[in-house]
Amino acid sequence: MTKITEVKAKVEAGKAKLVPGLVQEALDEGSAAGDILQAMIDSMGVVGEKFSAGEVFVPEMLMAAKAMSKGVDVLKPLLTGTSTSSLGTCVIGTVQGDLHDIGKNLVAMMIESAGFKVVDLGVDVSAEKFVNAVKEQENVTIVACSGLLTTTLPAMKEAVQTLKTSGLTGFKVIVGGAPVSQEMADEIGADGFAPDAGSAAVKAKELASA
Amino acid sequence: MMLTKKQNLMETIKGGNPDRFVNQYEFMDIILEVPVRLMCAPGTEMKNDWGITFRWPEGQLGQFPVHDEEHKVLKDITEWRKYVKAPVIDNTDEAWAAAVAHANSIDRNEQFVTAFVAPGVFEMCHHLMSMEDALMALYEEPEAMHELIDYLTDAELNYAKILIDRLHPDALFHHDDWGSQKSSFISPAMFEEFYLPAYKKIYGFYKANGVKLIVHHSDSYAANLVPYMIEMGIDIWQGVMTTNNTPELIKKYGGQISFMGDIDSGVVDFPEWTPEIVDREVERACKNCGKLYFIPNLTQGLNFSSFPGVYDSATEAIDKMSKEMF
Repeated sequence: MTKITEVKAKVEAGKAKLVPGLVQEALDEGSAAGDILQAMIDSMGVVGEKFSAGEVFVPEMLMAAKAMSKGVDVLKPLLTGTSTSSLGTCVIGTVQGDLHDIGKNLVAMMIESAGFKVVDLGVDVSAEKFVNAVKEQENVTIVACSGLLTTTLPAMKEAVQTLKTSGLTGFKVIVGGAPVSQEMADEIGADGFAPDAGSAAVKAKELASA
Repeated sequence: MMLTKKQNLMETIKGGNPDRFVNQYEFMDIILEVPVRLMCAPGTEMKNDWGITFRWPEGQLGQFPVHDEEHKVLKDITEWRKYVKAPVIDNTDEAWAAAVAHANSIDRNEQFVTAFVAPGVFEMCHHLMSMEDALMALYEEPEAMHELIDYLTDAELNYAKILIDRLHPDALFHHDDWGSQKSSFISPAMFEEFYLPAYKKIYGFYKANGVKLIVHHSDSYAANLVPYMIEMGIDIWQGVMTTNNTPELIKKYGGQISFMGDIDSGVVDFPEWTPEIVDREVERACKNCGKLYFIPNLTQGLNFSSFPGVYDSATEAIDKMSKEMF
């Protein structure tokens, strides 16, 4: 096994203590930082797929993300200026009136692992706050609105429509959370929907690269 | 002659001859007047007896534990002994007078005198340290997590002793959410290692001390945990969401455990609710799930709805289905 495949396997297995050493060894072996990063992004993609399929659960996903983040720490000094943020920035938040953050945090983590820069606005985020973040942050390509409560769907609709009619461009809006469906996403004018954190990252990537 | 609520419940969960659907929470009279702070009022904040801060912001449907650095009780799992201190329960006659009076007022032939416990061991872990920390610690510091869970289990058992001593409950209604809408939070294997032993102790203790019925609330997906629910002694899983495919669970496990719910609160209980939506959901649940090992019920964890009228509307709709199907 080459070091880079080992990095990949250990990220997937969530071995946060082993990954930094292996990343260093892969670098020493001559692998390019960008390639090592891509290998880790790929393994997070695999973890996301397994989560969507019900083969792994939240702890496994958290551990894999932690392992990747430890690996990225080793790469960071070497990555400045390379194309790692070509996917742009994702602004994410739980919509106004809703304080649930576990699902939103998982989505943020998976989207970050897919190669986005993530700006997390937290919970109870108003439509205006989403719009301001798009204005203030650089190169926003995705805005992700989360909600768990049926009762906060009107707030989600408001967020999506305020973003869409703000005159701002260059970004797509994705929505998700327990009561949200593709049908509902279409109805409120969102560009994308994903049923779970793994597929949210896939959807975000797809929309940002379109 | 009609069966009593209690008899009808027993017929339903034993696979006998119920004469109607068990209607939601009717078989339990739940005693909430205990000297333990369970909830804060809407629009307020409280620190519970474990030091966990909860906020219930105005306009929200419930309270949330606060987990910023300042408020998180357990900041380092390896040092849990330093941070986690079980509260001393006030066990004076005075503190328990209201609960005891309530228990004494219940006709035990008609209903189960029901003790209430929330949150359970899993929720306690993430209330103390945040969900992310609690889940990662299962991998990173398994020994410390086992120790913490043992400590929380002992605290629950101490409270159980007092509840049993004071109220002589016939049933226990115990909350612990083990999943999201679509999956259990942790894998079945991890659940078996960490939480099954705790619950075998807790529910075993209640059963050994006169409690005949264990009702566990988890309004989530948890179909993959049902074998463990049976093993730990749960008689009724309350809160079963439609995502579990309740009819299939009844077919597979009916007789070993019963299922209460299948009417997702999120679908019926919202500001623009209508009796027609409630009727439709109740009819679907009753027809799909059938008469045995099933109790039609909103998935919410107590006998009310978030929006006035929904719970009562469901009660009426269930009565209608009883007339139609029995």
